[in-house]
Amino acid sequence: VIALGGVTPKARWSRRLIAAASLAVLLVGGLSVKLAELQLTDGATLAGMARANTVHRIVLEADRGIIYDRHGGALVANSPVWNLEVTPAALPVDARARTTELSELARITGVPEPKLVADLLAADPYADVPVGGNLTQAQELALAERLPDLAGASIAQRSMRTYVEPLVFGHVVGYVGPLNDADLKRLRPSGYLPGEAVGKVGVEAGFESMLRGQNGWADVQVDARGQVVRTIDSQAPVPGKSVYLSLDAALQRATAQSLADGLVRDHKKAGASVVVDPRTGEVLALVSLPGYDTNVFTHGISQADYSKLLDDPNRPLLNRAISGQYAPGSTFKMVTATAGLQEGKITASTLLNCPSYINVNGWIYHNWASYSLGQMNVSKALATSCDTFFYQVAAMVGDVTLARYARAFGFGQAKDIEMPGVMPGLVPDRIWKQLQCGVPDLNSDACRWSQGDTITFGIGQSYLLTTPLNQAVYVAALANGGLVMRPTLMHEVRDSSGQVVQSLHAEVTGHVPASAANIMAVREGMRQEINRPYNLNYWFRAAGVPADGGGKTGTAQWGGSGLDLPTHAWFVFFAPYSQPEVAMSVFVERGELSEVEAAPIAVQMMKFYRDHAGAIRA
Amino acid sequence: MTTGAVWRRLDPLQPLLVGMLAVLGLMTVYSARADWSRQLVWVVLGACAYAAASAFDYRRLRPVALGLYAATVLMLLAVHLVGHTTLGARRWVSVAGFPLEPSELSKLLLVVVLAAYLSRTDRLSWRSFGGALLLIAPPACLIVTQPDLGTTMVLVAVIFGMLFLAGASAWQLFSLVFAGGVALPLLPYVLHGYQRKRLEIFLDPSQDPLGAGYNLVQARIAVGAGGLFGQGWLHGLQGQLGFVPERATDFVFAIFAEEFGLLGSLVLLAVFGTLLIRLLRSAALAPDRFGGLMAGGVFVMILAQVVENVGMNIGLLPIAGIPLPLISYGGSATITTLAALGLVQSVVLRRRVVAHGAGDPVTLGTITRRAQA
Repeated sequence: VIALGGVTPKARWSRRLIAAASLAVLLVGGLSVKLAELQLTDGATLAGMARANTVHRIVLEADRGIIYDRHGGALVANSPVWNLEVTPAALPVDARARTTELSELARITGVPEPKLVADLLAADPYADVPVGGNLTQAQELALAERLPDLAGASIAQRSMRTYVEPLVFGHVVGYVGPLNDADLKRLRPSGYLPGEAVGKVGVEAGFESMLRGQNGWADVQVDARGQVVRTIDSQAPVPGKSVYLSLDAALQRATAQSLADGLVRDHKKAGASVVVDPRTGEVLALVSLPGYDTNVFTHGISQADYSKLLDDPNRPLLNRAISGQYAPGSTFKMVTATAGLQEGKITASTLLNCPSYINVNGWIYHNWASYSLGQMNVSKALATSCDTFFYQVAAMVGDVTLARYARAFGFGQAKDIEMPGVMPGLVPDRIWKQLQCGVPDLNSDACRWSQGDTITFGIGQSYLLTTPLNQAVYVAALANGGLVMRPTLMHEVRDSSGQVVQSLHAEVTGHVPASAANIMAVREGMRQEINRPYNLNYWFRAAGVPADGGGKTGTAQWGGSGLDLPTHAWFVFFAPYSQPEVAMSVFVERGELSEVEAAPIAVQMMKFYRDHAGAIRA
Repeated sequence: MTTGAVWRRLDPLQPLLVGMLAVLGLMTVYSARADWSRQLVWVVLGACAYAAASAFDYRRLRPVALGLYAATVLMLLAVHLVGHTTLGARRWVSVAGFPLEPSELSKLLLVVVLAAYLSRTDRLSWRSFGGALLLIAPPACLIVTQPDLGTTMVLVAVIFGMLFLAGASAWQLFSLVFAGGVALPLLPYVLHGYQRKRLEIFLDPSQDPLGAGYNLVQARIAVGAGGLFGQGWLHGLQGQLGFVPERATDFVFAIFAEEFGLLGSLVLLAVFGTLLIRLLRSAALAPDRFGGLMAGGVFVMILAQVVENVGMNIGLLPIAGIPLPLISYGGSATITTLAALGLVQSVVLRRRVVAHGAGDPVTLGTITRRAQA
């Protein structure tokens, strides 16, 4: 190549070189275009995905409020538990490393590996998925040690409810459990999250809105291993409010003990008792036996254990105090007496015969005594619990009026107490009988209200059903002169700073339509009943408790009609007589003799109350 | 003629562009939390290699091309015999305690060997066409079985590109394309499980968003999150928090694009583009066919790496472990790339020039030889 003087030769661009240069320009240009598309057109979307990747919202769980008795004794504690959580997206990318880590996690937590893998595959890859149940201390330590090498795994501390003396307080306090799908649908608008603990039974459910705190949150930046790098923004959780129940823990224990002693003494399996303050409707004690360990529900109950509880013939899961419906038997006679007096069918001094039986349309209805007790007024009829006296009164009053009085005393009414599962009992009438008989011919015996129905109604049989809670409210109304109180378990509610935000509000839900004098006549009968020598009075004397109050026994037949039917034993009681402070019902399932089975339980409870009235009322 | 005059023939733009890339590379490697001081050492070593290669008369490589070829094959054999295995592939050998990746160096050596072979004749006969393919087959087999899909792809591009620049006829090129088309369906049988997986996932990234598709998805997110202006150096969310895998090597471009945005990325591509055109200009200036083909080979080598690396970072091409020249962390690749660019500079330095006022065009080579004599 010859170049002329002073001229640097130009580059000799061959066609191939030009083609190569064009290709390079084309390829780099193409990359630029695609890059612009990615960074400008999709930029906002992808930047959002980057944020979703790197910024996580963590729920800061609020502590649930504590449940106390009226004096501030804790009935539940929030105890810390540890869970393993895994963020699937943060697991090692390399398949072999991932498999190794998963089998190690399975080994530490004791969760079968296939289940672990299946759970993680099914979950949201960017969420913290709880794996396995609560870790034991040893597991937690083992895991914490290995955590730095386990990408995507973390230990979450949660708090779990631990219940105090669940066999005594369990039926009142209840327990919490994870939200099921049905609950979730209902509670989602209130901000509940799947798997969140929610009160299932007892006041845990009844005071759910108070006990539940307001969860907080934190937006944190996490790295690819799921480790928190920094907190961007957060809102602290607001703990739930503390609920101080109207229960007196000591009286509750004494009630449970007295009832348990009574059941053991008479070889009975189940019973219930409710103590209320007749002036306010406050429930001071509420016991249903047998109880069960509510802690097994919060700590995760196995299907086998749950089935065992469900299939137990003594039905420990049933809260008999509010959900058990039984015939009241003779404890109902005060209603019949009140109706007879108020309707003018009898007066306090009207004397009626108390024969050993009466004959109604050819049907014989017996008294409990096989001999005539002679003539008596209503008070003595109550004290001696003369069935034939009240058959006559019921016949005079009639079923419609009797039902009206029963409802006025709160029978057949589901009480608005702060617990789910409250049953109303049943006040039967003609229409009810026709509706439920299930026979097309409404004039058949199964459907038609008979005179027999009316007179047995008068002694608390027939189709009448009540609950121990309703019984306590009923006897409280007799104690306080005719006010049907709303039973309540709330003493007060305090927020996390200890400020009282809500306190007891005594509420009268109904007035018994009876004059004070008539109610006094009925009360007089109850006073006499517990003062009969060689009868109930024996228990008071034996226990050293003055028989100052009014009571009524009841041995109710159930399971059909006829002779030799099984019975339940009742005792309702209020004290002291002039200024009643407590009203109670005692129920012994399958109790045969209320005087010797149910009444002594109430006397034992009353003894405790007398001895500790100062502390209870403090 | 003085040595000062020699340096005036230097392509001054090329070291400038290379320097810019090296600085951007160091910044990105630092941001990717890799050992940037080691990378700095490699850049310095590479700069020495660059200077040495520039000063070295590239024409003296031609006689020893056979030896270089033998060395390449032996080196690749050594990888198979005594190499270290990482991530399922045997790519590394230790030399005096330093891990080396011979396949990186082999790219450059094969460019030199091919340039030497193809420059024996001015025209590319079918015979030398076939000879070139036979020549390249053994080292290519050794690389593909390491397995190193990325380097293999670069090698294929280099062969095709150099044959094209050597003047291969349309028929010859077509036969190559045809052979490739026939071989492509066989690819799944040759590929390792993970490589096949990578290809499948490239075709459908959603099939395994947590496993192998994760890299692709996360890199794409990082690039897109950069937007127009980028999130700022050291402030890329995806990169800094470790969501971008292999962030200092294969996916270094995603880190760069996230932090410097579209504007920064376009600058980077423009620098690469200018450098590439500059390499072709060096080929056009080359005093002989050997130098021209060598410069052309280096051009193809760098072009292929840039296109594949950026392409896979933005989800345009399947994932293959290929470094972005001078940006990715890695000693073997950095030093090899700088040495290759130095060789091209050597070609430029030894171009024919006409001295001012002198009648005879003299080549630098002549001067050097005279000086030695």
